[in-house]
Amino acid sequence: MIKKTLAWFSILIFAMFSIYPILYVLSVSLRGDNAFQSQSLEIITSTSTLKNFVDLFLRTDFLLWMRNSLLVATLTTLLGVALASTSAYALSRYRFRGRNMMLFALLATQMFPATMLILPFYIILSKLRLIDSFWGLFIIYSSTALPFCVWQMKAYYDTIPKELEEAALLDGCSRWMTFYKIILPVSSPALVITALFSFLSSWSEYVIAAVVLQDPQLYTLPLGLRSFQASMATQWGLYAAGALIVSVPVLILFISISRYLVSGLTMGSVKG
Amino acid sequence: MKFVKVLFFSLLFLSPLAKAAKPLRIQLWHQMIYGHRVVLSEALRQFEKENPGVTVQETYRETEELRSSYQAAAMGGSGPELVFGPSDQIGPFATMNIIRPLDEVLEEKYFEQFDPLAIPLYHDKHYMIGGAVGNHLMLIYNKKLLAKPPQNSDEMIALGKEHTRDLNGDGKIDRYGLVFNYTEPFFFAPFIPAFGEAFMTDDAKPNLDTPALRKTFEFILRLRDKEKIIPKECDYETANALFKQGKAAMLINGDWSWGDYKDAGMDFGIARIPLISETGKWPSPLVGTAGYSLNVNMTSSAHLEAALKLLRYLTSERVQLMFMERVGVLPSNLSLRDNPIVKNNPLLKVSAEIMEVGTPMPVVPEVRGVWDSLRIQYQKLLANSLTPAQAAEGVQKLAESQISDMNEVLQPDASAFVIKGLVLVLVILLAWVSKGSLLSFVQGFKGPQKFVYYMMLPAFVGIFAVIIYPFFYNIAISFSNFSLRTFQDWSIVGLHHYANALTDPKFYALFGKTIAWTVVNVFFHVTLGVFLAVVINQVMPAKGFWRTLFIIPWAVPQYITALTWRGMFNQEYGPINQFLQQFLHLSPVQWLSQPFTAFTACIITNVWLGFPFMMIVALGGLQSIPHSLYEAAYLDKANAWQRFRHITLPLLMPVMIPAALLGSIWTFNNLNIVWLVSNAGEPGDQTHILVSYVYKAAFNLYRYGYAAAVSVLIFLILVLWSLGSLRSQYRKETR
Repeated sequence: MIKKTLAWFSILIFAMFSIYPILYVLSVSLRGDNAFQSQSLEIITSTSTLKNFVDLFLRTDFLLWMRNSLLVATLTTLLGVALASTSAYALSRYRFRGRNMMLFALLATQMFPATMLILPFYIILSKLRLIDSFWGLFIIYSSTALPFCVWQMKAYYDTIPKELEEAALLDGCSRWMTFYKIILPVSSPALVITALFSFLSSWSEYVIAAVVLQDPQLYTLPLGLRSFQASMATQWGLYAAGALIVSVPVLILFISISRYLVSGLTMGSVKG
Repeated sequence: MKFVKVLFFSLLFLSPLAKAAKPLRIQLWHQMIYGHRVVLSEALRQFEKENPGVTVQETYRETEELRSSYQAAAMGGSGPELVFGPSDQIGPFATMNIIRPLDEVLEEKYFEQFDPLAIPLYHDKHYMIGGAVGNHLMLIYNKKLLAKPPQNSDEMIALGKEHTRDLNGDGKIDRYGLVFNYTEPFFFAPFIPAFGEAFMTDDAKPNLDTPALRKTFEFILRLRDKEKIIPKECDYETANALFKQGKAAMLINGDWSWGDYKDAGMDFGIARIPLISETGKWPSPLVGTAGYSLNVNMTSSAHLEAALKLLRYLTSERVQLMFMERVGVLPSNLSLRDNPIVKNNPLLKVSAEIMEVGTPMPVVPEVRGVWDSLRIQYQKLLANSLTPAQAAEGVQKLAESQISDMNEVLQPDASAFVIKGLVLVLVILLAWVSKGSLLSFVQGFKGPQKFVYYMMLPAFVGIFAVIIYPFFYNIAISFSNFSLRTFQDWSIVGLHHYANALTDPKFYALFGKTIAWTVVNVFFHVTLGVFLAVVINQVMPAKGFWRTLFIIPWAVPQYITALTWRGMFNQEYGPINQFLQQFLHLSPVQWLSQPFTAFTACIITNVWLGFPFMMIVALGGLQSIPHSLYEAAYLDKANAWQRFRHITLPLLMPVMIPAALLGSIWTFNNLNIVWLVSNAGEPGDQTHILVSYVYKAAFNLYRYGYAAAVSVLIFLILVLWSLGSLRSQYRKETR
C-alpha cells in the first residue's frame, strides 16, 4: 500500500514537471495580448480567447506549411526506412572487411558539431543547384537520421534467429527474397521505430530547412513558425498556438504505434 | 498516336510562349517585423504588376540568422540580389566583400534626397539605402498611470518610486516604475554619453574604461538596488509583458514596438529618455536605419538591372509613404518630412525630436566586439561579481582583445608547408596501404558477397556523400586563416588555431564544464527514464495514458519549450520561483543572473527534454525481461529493491548502455538549450559549453578558422570517448 501511494505520488510530481511547461505554452496561445510572460500561475484566465488558433488557420499559410512538412517528412521516412533496413541487414548478417569500422563511422557522423556543417552544406547545395528544392531536404534529412536508424535496425536483426533464413535459403529462396519475404515482416516493430525516428527528425527540423528553403511557398512547419518570431517583435500567440498544433500529429502517431514502439525497442535493443 | 501528335504540336506551339512567360526572379531577404512584412509584400506585388516579366520573392529571416545565412549564400557565390537589414551589418558585409558599393551603380545625385542617417558611409562609400530612419530608444509611458513624462532623471526616480508598488499587500511588488531590457548593452548605451563621453572613438576604437561608463554602471545599479524602481531580472519579454499589462508606468523601448502597444489598445505617450540631472546631459539613443544592400553576385546583367530598379522603387517616396501611413515609421526621404501625414502624426513628431539627441549607429564591424564585451562585463557587474570600476576596466581590455581577434589576418608560416606536405604524404600513404582493401572492396561487388555490398551501399553513399564534403571542408578551414578579413580568400596557415585553443586555459575550463553538463544530463535522463518506466510498468494502471503523457515534452518543438523554460525561471514572475515561495516558503532564486544557477537552469531544461526518450527505451527493455524471473524471485521472498537490483537492472543494462552512449554524444553537442535558455551564454558568457562557444566564435565573432579547429577537437574527444566505452562494453560482453 505504502509502495503504491509512493508510486502515485512520484508519478504525479513528474507528470506536473513534464506537463507544466506545455500548459504554459497553452496559456500563451490563449492570450489575446501577445505577451510571452504572465505573472499568475493560472493557465486559463478571463481574457482567454481562441483567436490565435483561428488566425493561424485563416490568416497564415499554416495549412500550406503543414502540407509541405507532411510531404517532406513522409518521403524522408520512406527513403530512410528503405535504406536503413537494407544496410542494417547487411551489417547484422554478414562479416566482411571494414564492417566494424563502418559501424563506428556511423556513430562518428554524430560527433562533429552540427552548426559548423551549415556553411559547407550551403556551398555544396548551391553548387548542385539544390537550394530551394525539396530534393536537397530529402537527401540531407534521410542521411542525417540514418545513423541512428541503422544502429537500431541492426540491433533488432541481431535478435532474429539465423535458422529462419537458413530454412528459407534451403527451400530455394534467393537472398533478396529471404530478406524481403521473411526478415522484413518479422521486423515490423523495428521498422516502425525507424519510421518514427525519421519522421520526427524531419518534422521539426529547422536549421537545415532554413539553409535549403527560401521560397515561402516551400516553407515547412518549423520555418513557418519561426517566421512569427522576430527579434523583439515576436507574434507569441500565433507562435505558441502553432507549436501546439505541430505536436498533435506527432502525438497521434505515438499513440497509434506505441504498442509496436515498446515491443520494437525491446527486441531490437536487447543485444544493443 | 493521335494523342502524341497533338501533344507534339501543342508543345511546339507553347514553347516560345513558355520562354517569354518565364519571369526574371529577383530575391530579397529581409528581417522586417510582422507588421512591416505585410506592407512590403503589398509594395512588391505592386512592383510586379508594373514590371511584367519580373517577379520578386521575399524571404524573411530573423536578424542574426539573416546575417549568417546571407554570408553563407554569398560565400557560395549566390544569394539574394537584395538584402535588407540593420545598418550595423554593412561593416562586416563590406569587409567580407559580399555587398557592393552603391556608388558604382547609382548616380551621385540619387543619394542627396535621403537623410544622411539612412545612407551610412563605410570607408567613404554607400553600401545601403534605408527606407526609414529610427530604431532608436525612447521613454514610453502609460498615460493611464502617468499624466506627463519626467523631465529629468531625479524626477524619473521620484515618479518611479511612487509607482513601484505592492498593490495587493502580499509583500511582492505588482507594479514597477520603470522597466526595460537593461541587461542588454543596446539599452543602457544611451546613458553612457550622458555621463560624459562616447563609448567608441571616431576611428572605431573602443573607449570604455572611462568615468562615464563607471557612472553609467553605478546609475543602473542604483536604479535596481537603491531606488528599487526596476525589477531585479528583466529581459525584453518581461519588460514588454509588464508594460502591456499595465504593471509598469514607464518603459524604455524602440519605435518598432509602437504597433504592438497600439494593437493591445494601450494609451501611451513617448518622450526622450530623461535628462541626467547630475550632468545636465541628454541620454543619446543610437539612431540607425534598416535598409537595402546589393549583392556582389548577380546571375546576369538583366538581374542587376531589375534589382536596381527594385532598389529604386523600394526607396522611392511612394513606397516610403506606404510604410509611413501603415506602420508609422519616419521616412528617410527628406522631401517627405514636410508631408502633412508626417507633420500631423504626433508620435512621429515627438520621435523626430527624440532623434535630435541621438547618435548615429556605428556601422564598423568592430562595434560587435564592443557590444559583446560590454554585455559580458556588464552582466558580471549585475550579478555583483565585479565592481563598476573593475567592470569598466575589464570591458576595455576584452573589447580590445576581441577586436584584434576579429581583425586578425594570419600569415602562412612554416607549419603551413608542413601541413600541406603531411596531408600529401598521408593521402599517398593511405592510398598505398588501403590499395589491397580497396581492390577487394571493388571486387566484392562481383564476388560471392555481392549481395551484401549492394544492400549496404546506398545508405553509406547517402550518409557519406552528405557528410564528407562538410567534414573535410571544416578540417581544411581549421588549418586556415578563415575569418572576417579573409572571408573570400582564405588560405592554409598551419596549426595556429590548434595551438591557440590548446594553450588557452579557457578551453580546458569549458571542456570540464561540458563534461559536467553531459554527465549530469545523461545521469538524470537515464535514471529518471528507468525509474518512470519501472513505476509505470509495474504499478500504474492505464499504462498507455502515462506513456503518452510523459512523451509530450518530446513532441512539442524544442525551440518554444526552451524559451518557455527561460520565462519560467524569471526571478520575480517566473512560476518556478512563485512555486518555491508559495508552497515551499523558500526565498526566490536569482536563476538567470548568476552563472551557477543559470547553468543549473539549462540543465533542468535539458533533463526535462531528454528523459522521455530514455523512458521509451527503458520501457522497451522491460518488456523483454521474462516474467518467470520475477515469479521465481517472489517465491524466494526477494523484496522490491532486491528484485530491481538483481533482475531488472542487470537485464536493462544492455539496452540502456548504447542509448546512453548515443545520448552522451548528442548531449555533448547540444547547442540549442544552452543558447536559448541562457540567452547565448548569459550572464557574462559564463554558461557556455564547448559547442556554444564554437558557435559564438564562428557566427558572432567571424572566427571560422578557430571555431573549426575547436570543432575538430570536440570530434576527437568524442571519438576517443566512444571508442573507449565501446571497447569496455565489448570486453564485458565477451567475458
